Amino acid sequence: MRILVAVDQHPYSAHVVKDVAKLAGNTWADVTFLGVGPKATDIGRSSNRAGIKHPLTEKLRNYRRNFLDHFEKEESPYEKRLCHYEFVEVKKGVWEELYICRGARKDLKIVLRSGNPVKEILAQSQEDESDLIVMGCYKKGGCQWEGTVNLPQKVANNALCSVLVIKEEKKIHKISCCLDQENISQKSIEMINQMVTLYQTELEIVGLTDGPALKPMVEKNLNAILKYYNARQIKAWIKLVDADSLGSFISQEARRSMMALWMGEHSLLSKIFPGGKVEKLIQGSESSVLLLR
Amino acid sequence: MLRTLVYLDADLASSIALRYACQLTRVIDMNLHTVHVEEPDKDGHAPGTGWVRRTWESAMLKTGEFEIAQLIKAEKSSCPMLGAPKMLVGDRENEILREIQRESYDLFVEGSLHSFTAKKLYDKIHSRLYRHIPCPVIVVKNLVDLEKIALIVRDEVESKKLISMFLNIFSGAKLNIDLIYCEFQEPGKLSFKGKEDENKTISAVEEILMVNNWHPENCRMIQGSPEEIGDVLRNYGLVASLLHHSISKKSNWFQLLCHIPSPVLICWQ
Repeated sequence: MRILVAVDQHPYSAHVVKDVAKLAGNTWADVTFLGVGPKATDIGRSSNRAGIKHPLTEKLRNYRRNFLDHFEKEESPYEKRLCHYEFVEVKKGVWEELYICRGARKDLKIVLRSGNPVKEILAQSQEDESDLIVMGCYKKGGCQWEGTVNLPQKVANNALCSVLVIKEEKKIHKISCCLDQENISQKSIEMINQMVTLYQTELEIVGLTDGPALKPMVEKNLNAILKYYNARQIKAWIKLVDADSLGSFISQEARRSMMALWMGEHSLLSKIFPGGKVEKLIQGSESSVLLLR
Repeated sequence: MLRTLVYLDADLASSIALRYACQLTRVIDMNLHTVHVEEPDKDGHAPGTGWVRRTWESAMLKTGEFEIAQLIKAEKSSCPMLGAPKMLVGDRENEILREIQRESYDLFVEGSLHSFTAKKLYDKIHSRLYRHIPCPVIVVKNLVDLEKIALIVRDEVESKKLISMFLNIFSGAKLNIDLIYCEFQEPGKLSFKGKEDENKTISAVEEILMVNNWHPENCRMIQGSPEEIGDVLRNYGLVASLLHHSISKKSNWFQLLCHIPSPVLICWQ
């Protein structure tokens, strides 16, 4: 798994580092911290001699430090590689001195780009082939970033991969997961699993009904998902929501739960819940939002 | 020994209800019976009489029998007392009602998945089956561990009836119980009051329970909207409440019942 963490110099970005570290610790993900700021031509020179001029470089280093602090040095998959010669028993009674490199089993990158922040974040996610973009935002004022209007919303709408928008200082009590159960990937289920572990919370699986009952295929998948989580000791609740009431359900539920929506290419949810509504959800939600793709 | 009937269809709600009922057998001294009703097509009528009709009915039953047998087979290892289900043909509600009356069951269990809208539960409570059912009902909305039960008390007289029903079902069981008194108010002001804030109803009910060797772990009053209180009650493996058949859809009590995601034990008034 590769996680792209889009950050700037404001407190909501610092807030996500801890969560990303936990998530990366559980998944052993490759991680890129991406800062998007003013044009960055002289960073190398200025940091060496005249002090750091670029507003993001020092912040990015702090984020890396905070991220790495989460791991025990010996166990960290991001620890720098240490290479030396070491005798290794290659077969019984035969030892050979081999050049062994330990550590840095996973990639941790710090990248600084300049330009339109939305475009740069999306470009980096495509270059990295990220599985998940993580961003923080102010809780007040409809989930904003300093300097760019509706940045998290625009990234969430246009990204090809899953997006997690973490709202500042909000304890997550429940994850309400609207999965399009007719068409769902193992990757999405695993991602939800990771979120439940990360936030130590309960899970509510929402089954979309079309009329009075669930479609047999949806019901079968819902049963399989329930068994999957039960087997992992994850407390999972089921709630049925009629497709016509989905909008009001989501706006009501987003006040107290982290919403996870499956917005894949063939998802029924992406039809019911188009881009504009996703923007509104991220703005209006009291809690964090996860869009699965 | 408590005689319990579990209604089964070949669906998720029934699978959850069956697993929950099996959990009940581990804490209550009870016999578990299962039933399935195969309904003829709504627009079609049963063909003919005598041999023709009997052949048609047995063909219908065979279709349903296989699916229900699969459901039971899946649970048999964890619930050995499960026997073959009784298979009936006809109108679902009428057949279940007849079966309950004929065999004098003490408890009826069925699955109905927790729903965002109130309509499903409202229709169920006002159905012919529930209006005439002579025993308490457990509506299993979700599969949860039966560790703790919440008894929702209202006024003293009504609560006595609930407690007597509860004692009938759970006599001899070793479970933790809480007494909950609900006071409805506008959303956003959820609050809890403990035993120290004197509540006559709670004290009276607690006394009855203690006489019968049940010692509630907590006795508390919850103030909040039905939605907020319902959310608090998700921590229980079963929520027991008394209910009027004539309950209105907009009443706070009904709204509370809808918002509880845990299984609900309904004792009829």
